[in-house]
Amino acid sequence: MPTVAADRQPASRGAIPATRRRSRLIGERLNFQIGLILPSVLVLLLFQVVPIFIGTDASFRRWTLYDPDKTWVGLEHYRYVLSDTNFLFTVLPNTFLLMVGSVGLSLALGMAVALLLHRGFAAQRLVQTVVLLPLMIGPVIASTMMRWTFNDQFGVVNAFLGWLGLGQPAWLADRWYAFGVIVFTDVWIWTPWFGLLLLAGLKSLPKEPFEAAALDAAGRWRTFTHITVPMLRPVIGVCVVIRAIDCFRTFDQVWLLTGGGPARSTEVFSIYVYMEAFQNLNFARGSAAAVIGTLIIMVAGLALYALINRFMDVSR
Amino acid sequence: MSLASTAQSSPRRTRLFDFLQPGARAAFTAIAVTAVVVLFLAPIIILVVTSLRPGWGVYYIYRGTEFTLANYVEVFQRSVVVEAFINSFLLSTVATILSLGVTVTSGYMLSRFKGWLPKTWFTSIYVFRTVPYISWVLPLYIVNESLGLYDTFFGILAAHVAVHVCFFSWIMKGFFDGIDPSMEYAAMIDGCTRWGAFRRVALPAAGPAIAALGILSWLWTWNEFLFALILTGNRTPLLTVTMAQFVTELGTEWNLMSAMAVMAMIPAVIITLFAQKYVIQGLRI
Repeated sequence: MPTVAADRQPASRGAIPATRRRSRLIGERLNFQIGLILPSVLVLLLFQVVPIFIGTDASFRRWTLYDPDKTWVGLEHYRYVLSDTNFLFTVLPNTFLLMVGSVGLSLALGMAVALLLHRGFAAQRLVQTVVLLPLMIGPVIASTMMRWTFNDQFGVVNAFLGWLGLGQPAWLADRWYAFGVIVFTDVWIWTPWFGLLLLAGLKSLPKEPFEAAALDAAGRWRTFTHITVPMLRPVIGVCVVIRAIDCFRTFDQVWLLTGGGPARSTEVFSIYVYMEAFQNLNFARGSAAAVIGTLIIMVAGLALYALINRFMDVSR
Repeated sequence: MSLASTAQSSPRRTRLFDFLQPGARAAFTAIAVTAVVVLFLAPIIILVVTSLRPGWGVYYIYRGTEFTLANYVEVFQRSVVVEAFINSFLLSTVATILSLGVTVTSGYMLSRFKGWLPKTWFTSIYVFRTVPYISWVLPLYIVNESLGLYDTFFGILAAHVAVHVCFFSWIMKGFFDGIDPSMEYAAMIDGCTRWGAFRRVALPAAGPAIAALGILSWLWTWNEFLFALILTGNRTPLLTVTMAQFVTELGTEWNLMSAMAVMAMIPAVIITLFAQKYVIQGLRI
């Protein structure tokens, strides 16, 4: 055998006679690994990493029609975004409020749905099908139907409230009512996701602890809080982290339900970036906001990940 | 919880749910099931009913008996709607095939190898998954525009393949983790190359799981809105954006919009009804 590619690995295993053969094998192995991930890496580099660099570069420049040279302005856009009261006191609180509200409520409701489906009853498959539907039809159609359901003049919700003799609020014209509808829509879409994953978790739990609890005459609530929840912690943790991180980039629901209105009061992070870039036509400022948001969610995501890791360790 | 019934013979304190036993327990289940079904089904039914109302009848959704299919006919007389359906169908299909093809080897690599390279790759995947879509789609718009790809099929296709790289690699790793690698070792001892062991042994074994993910991927692309909004315009109309434009252009023509929404919902309903098992399998993290 010729000694091709033998030097690629450091000669740390020099003492072993079969070095050459072995390191060739390792080299081959590495090449195989690189070959396997190459398509993914290329796609990721070309269509995500490169754009992110271009966007970051743009965020330091003046990006308007009257400035074709795209003059370097340093941190000007960052200074603008970070001193924008709308961004600081409306957009960011909205984003995190949506995250907490949506994840918390859909976790609670999803747990209820999972427990219900786990009971076993007639027509269970039918109910499971119904529960799966919101997740499948997606945010766009869901938001459209919610917008119609909560229509202030002709919507079913207000018709029902009128029939009950209650007030009929203009749902999408008031900041907190509109925000409530957004949270409700998001919960409507994502409860099934929590429900199905938690149901799978419930099904995989061992039976013995429940039998032991039943013998010890533990009530339902105690069985739930002391056995079901602790044993489901890993599933709950993973679900919450994934959903919370994804919730940060919510766009469709807000855009289609309120468009960020009334008066930009229900804007969340993605909507703010979009508005700056395409509505106010300041691409650089939008990019700066996008970079800031990315950094925020990365830090929050890592913190959340660490927190959940600890939370899950405690249960073991 | 279902085991509580076995505990009825054992002595215990009276609790809140005890007076619901045992006949009332069924009633409780029935009420809860009804609530869940109403919560998740009612908005869909309202949408379907609205789509079957004549234009003047949608506002009286809670009374009247007039039903019509004219909305569907009217919607499909618009060429942009037909075009949007065709484009979305093609995009979903091609994007699904490409993203599965690109990520399947990556997931396999993450599952089967250890060392600095898989570790680095997995960390990058985790980090890039947290990046909000708008943060890279916004500059991708500039890239596409300068390359002449804005509002073309390829421009939006690239975004849809890229968005799935991280998540699918992660999920595919889970699929391959569930497959015993000893068969691949056996194949390699029998003379298979590493690639052969992957293609002839591991890939067929992961087939059903990959198909399940494919179904979900198709549906996610079909339902996607943000990329379509930013990266396409009038030349490449896509379903979701065309539907959203219905609202703003025509103001109150809810009957037409509902008809289009119902048509757009059909793949999701079909998949939910007939491929539920696969969907649930594909949703596993």
